[in-house]
Amino acid sequence: MNVLDEVLTRARSLVDRWEDEDCGTVTVKDFCRYAAALNDADYIDRARNREATGEPVEAPALFLAATMSWEDGPPERELRPDGLAARESPCTMGLPVRQVHGGQTVRLLRAPVAGSRVTASRAVTSAERKQGRSGAFVLLGLTTRFTSADGTELTAVDETIVVMEALDSPGAA
Amino acid sequence: MNPPVAGDICPPQRYTHSTVQLFRFSAVSWNSHRIHYDAEFAASEGFPGAVVQSTLHGETLTRYALAWAGPNSRLETASWRNRTTAVADEPLTWTATVRTVEGTRVSLEVAVLKADGTPCVTGTVHIALV
Repeated sequence: MNVLDEVLTRARSLVDRWEDEDCGTVTVKDFCRYAAALNDADYIDRARNREATGEPVEAPALFLAATMSWEDGPPERELRPDGLAARESPCTMGLPVRQVHGGQTVRLLRAPVAGSRVTASRAVTSAERKQGRSGAFVLLGLTTRFTSADGTELTAVDETIVVMEALDSPGAA
Repeated sequence: MNPPVAGDICPPQRYTHSTVQLFRFSAVSWNSHRIHYDAEFAASEGFPGAVVQSTLHGETLTRYALAWAGPNSRLETASWRNRTTAVADEPLTWTATVRTVEGTRVSLEVAVLKADGTPCVTGTVHIALV
């Protein structure tokens, strides 16, 4: 079995197995640091002004969707050689592969507000072997649903991950 | 801004993502994938530099769309596909065309283009004008 077949086998065993992840209580600082990485000083001013007057502070629109993991860790020794953690790379631990995002669809249903606790429910939804111009790859489909403590759905994300053999792998294109 | 109509072309926006921005965005989004901040590692995977995150492209696609739509606009959905890699310090251009206008809802066909016009990312952004 080659590397991509192994990825496919692992992924198919995970399809539709939903897992919940506690994202914790989101804060104004979380939002502002995210905005700062986008050079959005206006957001930071607005958010801090609202916080100072006791008004609700909504997250930047794609804050939940863009955050890759809500885990505390893992420590570096537990990362894949490419820096990804098992949580972000559910089917490839120990395998010589490269991976990139294929694309995303994000639906914004209700903005998360600072002080609210958020849960992410996530599953692999599809796994297909494909042939592209630069060789074979596995296309993984993932879905994440973010909800608040009262069950209100906040953000829904469907994304695809392209998994290819490592360039120095014997079977790589 | 005049009320948008299908076919309107939004003014393009030119920009780059610095290496520092890619690092900070990786840090704040807890994305430790080395292709986004380690150019040497990115080269080992066949990329010409530190790779712009898909989610950072998503931010660009939507933020320029909201800036075009004005302060009373709200993002409803965004969908994009990564077609080729963009890297740190690469000149990029955001483009958008109004696809549909239905009441207060506007959809835009959006893209991020390389300097030679090759699309890095293409997608659709739906905005509510509130």
